[in-house]
Amino acid sequence: METNTTIRSHCVGTTAVVYASDYLNKLTGERIERECRRQLDSGCRALVIDFSDTELVNSIGVSILLGIIDVAERNGAEVVFSDVNNQTRALFDMLGLTRLVAVAKDENEALTSLSLTPPPPAVN
Amino acid sequence: MNSSAPNEAIRRVLGRVARQEFVGRAAELQRVVAQSSDEYAGRGLLLLMEPAAGVSELLRQAYDEIFHQRSHVVPIYFAFTRNETTAVSAAIEFLNSFLQQYIAYKRNDPQLCHLALTLQDLLELAPPADFDWIQQLVESYDRQRFSNDDRALVRFCLGAPQRVPEKSGRAFVMLDGAQLADQLNGSVILGTEILRVFDRAKVAYVLAGLRRQILQAAYNARLNFETLDLLRLEQLSNAEARLLIDRLASRQRVAVSEEAKDLLAQQFGCSAFFITTFLQAAREKNNSLVSYLDCERLYVDELLGGRIQNHFADLLEEIAPTTDLRLAVVRLLWESIAGDQRVASFEACRRRLHVKGEEMEEILQQLHIQEFVNWDGSLVEFADGPQAWKDYLKTRYRLIVMNEPRALVVADALTDSLKRAPHTMARHYKQVQPYDLRDVLLRFNCQSVPAVLFNYAEFSKRWKGAGLEETIVGVGAETDLFSLPQVVHVASAASFNSELRQVCEERRCMAAHAFEGSVYSDAREIVWLAAEVESKQEVAPDLVELWCDRLDRLAITGGFRRHQIWLISNEGFNQEASALLVRRGALASSQQQVDLLLDRIGASSVPEIQPLEGTNEFLVVIPMGEDNELLAANTVEQIARRLSFRPEAINQIKTAIVEACINASEHSFSPDRKIYQRFRVENDRLVITISSRGVVPTNIGGNVGQSENHETADLGDERRGWGLKLIRSLMDEVEFERVDEGTRLRMTKYLRNSST
Repeated sequence: METNTTIRSHCVGTTAVVYASDYLNKLTGERIERECRRQLDSGCRALVIDFSDTELVNSIGVSILLGIIDVAERNGAEVVFSDVNNQTRALFDMLGLTRLVAVAKDENEALTSLSLTPPPPAVN
Repeated sequence: MNSSAPNEAIRRVLGRVARQEFVGRAAELQRVVAQSSDEYAGRGLLLLMEPAAGVSELLRQAYDEIFHQRSHVVPIYFAFTRNETTAVSAAIEFLNSFLQQYIAYKRNDPQLCHLALTLQDLLELAPPADFDWIQQLVESYDRQRFSNDDRALVRFCLGAPQRVPEKSGRAFVMLDGAQLADQLNGSVILGTEILRVFDRAKVAYVLAGLRRQILQAAYNARLNFETLDLLRLEQLSNAEARLLIDRLASRQRVAVSEEAKDLLAQQFGCSAFFITTFLQAAREKNNSLVSYLDCERLYVDELLGGRIQNHFADLLEEIAPTTDLRLAVVRLLWESIAGDQRVASFEACRRRLHVKGEEMEEILQQLHIQEFVNWDGSLVEFADGPQAWKDYLKTRYRLIVMNEPRALVVADALTDSLKRAPHTMARHYKQVQPYDLRDVLLRFNCQSVPAVLFNYAEFSKRWKGAGLEETIVGVGAETDLFSLPQVVHVASAASFNSELRQVCEERRCMAAHAFEGSVYSDAREIVWLAAEVESKQEVAPDLVELWCDRLDRLAITGGFRRHQIWLISNEGFNQEASALLVRRGALASSQQQVDLLLDRIGASSVPEIQPLEGTNEFLVVIPMGEDNELLAANTVEQIARRLSFRPEAINQIKTAIVEACINASEHSFSPDRKIYQRFRVENDRLVITISSRGVVPTNIGGNVGQSENHETADLGDERRGWGLKLIRSLMDEVEFERVDEGTRLRMTKYLRNSST
């Protein structure tokens, strides 16, 4: 398993899809956080974090995900996790992440669910 | 002069250990040997020793090296001992040793140095070429010793090396005054007399001894310091002290663990004297030194009835010859240290000891020489001294002043030492960190550095999560520069306000007096108050507020006209804290920013890394560091697959081991920066043990560890305490085993649970 040095992402309308790497730890978590902040600063109103490549997650990575959820909330943006494998899902459940974000089967389902969600009220 | 290669085997003459076994002091040894060369002819070298730093073996090694050079320089080594009761007897002993060693050298017969010989024996052994002058010397001595002029006799004996005829060579005298008692019975003050004689003789010599005593003797003898060289001899470094323990243990056949080596080095302040004494005691009592308990048991034995006790008892007896006076001195010293009344007037001390002024002066002089007090002629400051001295004083006080039962004093001494041991090591390991705040501040010398290095919020916004190379390039391209002041003095903030000792370690909070732009004026004077804030994550505003308030108060109490607060935290500061920092006008940096700053203003000190020693156990050892926990996870995956664990269970084990490794890295100030993993495969289970050396973790194992600073735990976000929760959830059994250094985490996963 290797950790990538860059984070893949793309935008679908005002939703940013950010791809987590194979191992979610402090370093890769901070990269995701940085990319998410960048997308939010660029005007994105929703975030999809895709875990299709993610095999292993540690607690520091999870704490950074919580930080991303906080930042998104402050920016009035919704967050959806997609393509989370069973082990990672169990970990997210255990640490309470899944109470804070929706988890979609894959990226398409995540984007669809966001398009059905009414836009959040404008933030002053 | 022939020169010997440093590693060449040198036959021992006076040295008590082989040259290759002699630890540390390589530069000092070279310097002492150099003093014997013609280049230094006529010059004296004063070897100024910190108490208990050890000097005797250094001089004996120098003797052996010069002896084997076989040049015209004849080495003479003489150690003053406490057995000599008068200056005259010490001087006579010197004369005898001088002749014995001279003849041994001339006959190239080292064995002669160790025989008990009279002057008449020596005359008979004298080589023909030297017979005449030695005979004259012995005859003159016989006349002189009945002259009733002690001073003249002392000078005659000490002056014997001058009588060596030029054609016979040149004596190089090394005087070991480590045990030199200044006030021997009689009218002659020996230290001063020695220096007078050798200075006037214009021969090269070395006088080694306690730094305060030797310097004072030099001043009293009114020596010309231009013809003197000074060499300061401080305690060994930690690495040297460990090596010394290693070598001594090997020679004495004492089993000693890595943890014990570290503890002994620290507990004895890297003193060669105490370490040697202690290992000798271990050998005599056939003790092994594997655990902290082994070490402290022997320590307390030695403190209350062994060599350490004898050492301090001898010193005290010299300082205070009568029992009553000794009791009063112990009371005065211990009550001053324990009661934190560190400074007293001469008169107050005299009244407490019920002695006359002159006697008080002598007592204080002796205590000052041993560095148990600092005495400037009026005020007496009671110093801590080595830990062993403090422990000795405390036990003596309880035994002879308070008349407490011996069993109670012994039990308390042992339990106190055991409780102190982990803290001693914690302090040490924390010092072996990537940088030292004092060192960082001392490097400030008007350099221009990127301002972003002192602005965590901006740094984080731009480079958090970025690769190191990208960050370095980005910071390097910064045009907004900040001019550092020139720091002229750095001291721990606790030196200005002792209350700060209660809230942080001294080395983590510094006050640096500085001038901006190297302009030495009131307007440009500024004091930087820098503190390392302990936190495993971005610091929250309440902790920032607490530290800013503390440092502002320090500035007021210290009377600092202008000050600049600089807070450092490993993981930086959160948004709210950053906003508060701006409002308070404080600078803020993360560990990474400090590293980048050090890259620009000078290399940081490199942490000391100890090599891993061989082991017979089935171990996987990984260095602590980014992503290395993956290596452990991959290893355990292979093992778990062989045991037919299901994929979900394998993933659970991998996650648990990753968390255990992260805990080990995050929570221990580890000396070797390694994580030791032991995998044991049993029929129905996999047992994994994760251990690391270092400070006891504060948040794992329930009450296993004691946090030194509770602020972090109280104020910090709990999100980063999930590791243990995860491990407990993912594994079937989790146990913490308490060891001397930190904890050992044992995790078990059963196969049956995995397959059901």
